[in-house]
Amino acid sequence: MMDGFLQSLEGSPLAVRTTGLSKSFGAKKALRGLDLAVPEGSVYVLVGPNGAGKTTSLRILLDLVKADSGTSEVLGGATGSEGAWVRAQIGYVPDIHDFGYPELAVGSFLRHHRSYFPAWDETYALRLLSEFDISTEDTFGTLSKGQARRVQLVQAMAHRPPLLLLDEPTDGLDPLARDHLLGLLADHLAGTPTTVLLSTHLVHEVEGLGDHLGVLRGGRLVAQLPRTTLHLGLHHLRATIPEGWQSPPRLLEAAIVCQTQKRDISWTVWGDSEELQAQLSASGADLRHWEALNLEAATRAFLSMKER
Amino acid sequence: MIITIQPADPRPIYLQIMDEVRRALVVGTLLPEDALPSVRQLAAELRVNPNTVQQAYRELEREGVVTKRRGLGTFAASIQMGEKERQMMARELAQRMLREAYRQGLSAQELLAALEAVASDRREDSSEEDEA
Repeated sequence: MMDGFLQSLEGSPLAVRTTGLSKSFGAKKALRGLDLAVPEGSVYVLVGPNGAGKTTSLRILLDLVKADSGTSEVLGGATGSEGAWVRAQIGYVPDIHDFGYPELAVGSFLRHHRSYFPAWDETYALRLLSEFDISTEDTFGTLSKGQARRVQLVQAMAHRPPLLLLDEPTDGLDPLARDHLLGLLADHLAGTPTTVLLSTHLVHEVEGLGDHLGVLRGGRLVAQLPRTTLHLGLHHLRATIPEGWQSPPRLLEAAIVCQTQKRDISWTVWGDSEELQAQLSASGADLRHWEALNLEAATRAFLSMKER
Repeated sequence: MIITIQPADPRPIYLQIMDEVRRALVVGTLLPEDALPSVRQLAAELRVNPNTVQQAYRELEREGVVTKRRGLGTFAASIQMGEKERQMMARELAQRMLREAYRQGLSAQELLAALEAVASDRREDSSEEDEA
């Protein structure tokens, strides 16, 4: 029997761990008991619809927002009482790319951030900028959305932090700008040991980079697991069923999304492939298609599954 | 050698990279003793996780398709893998076709018959061209 798709990931050292994190803004509950576990060295994709609590989670880790209850740790340090140390370990790209200073020069922006981080690698920052034809004299008002995003990413990476928090880094970028940004990130990861916690509602854009998936729905995680496990455990099946077919109980239990139309079924199931396929064949159904899901399709399945 | 992958393809990306390297060897765009791109280079180029590239190279090394040289990088193995690799590629393709056939409600026999018919059509076409 394999583990469920909502895992604690306790087995590996964690770069981020929250337990029972809750937060309300007035009557609106942003988080309802979030247990987030981001293994060290992973690229963790935190996905969910807008308003699911992604930005609030990241802001709590930075101590920009106080949780109502629960605990949160980054690399073993409490995000509240050890906030200054924790923030020094983090490179952060917020979900806004226009922070309202069109006159601000790229150089001044980077100098400002540099002063917070003793480990700032100026050579690295300038090299990354020049690769993208951005000058330190350019002002934010003259940069495209994609260029502004790149400057923000350079700012977040230049002190080579052990943890990168990226909030919707590709949102609103044209395909080419997005592609450049992801290339920059992949290159950084190859050269610097880093954990990445990346929030997005556009999961297909980070298919190539993500190795862990967390799915947020209504302020809590409904799925959290390594991609390798996802690939082994989650499948989409198509089958033709005989008249009056009854699903074997084990298969029905394993199903997280069921679409049935007359003699045609299209289900997403979680569990051991061989066992489930054997159950299906034994029930008289004719299996037509059995395929693992990519991050995008898996996210869709987890978001549309019935509450358990 | 040009390596392309389909991130949306449900097949794991490291398997796609392995296939691309094997294909390059069979087609001859990658020759024995040739250097493969570095992990960093390929990860940045494909916009994938460097660990994924590393995994692909590690598996290829285990299969004897590439060899790692300390401090120098990864190289295509010196022995030609030609026939065995071609068989593996054909097998892989056959599996994909068969899966698709089942999905469409066709049997293996029906697929085989169609494949033979299409191949013989093509043979006739090309021999007509030769005559012309």
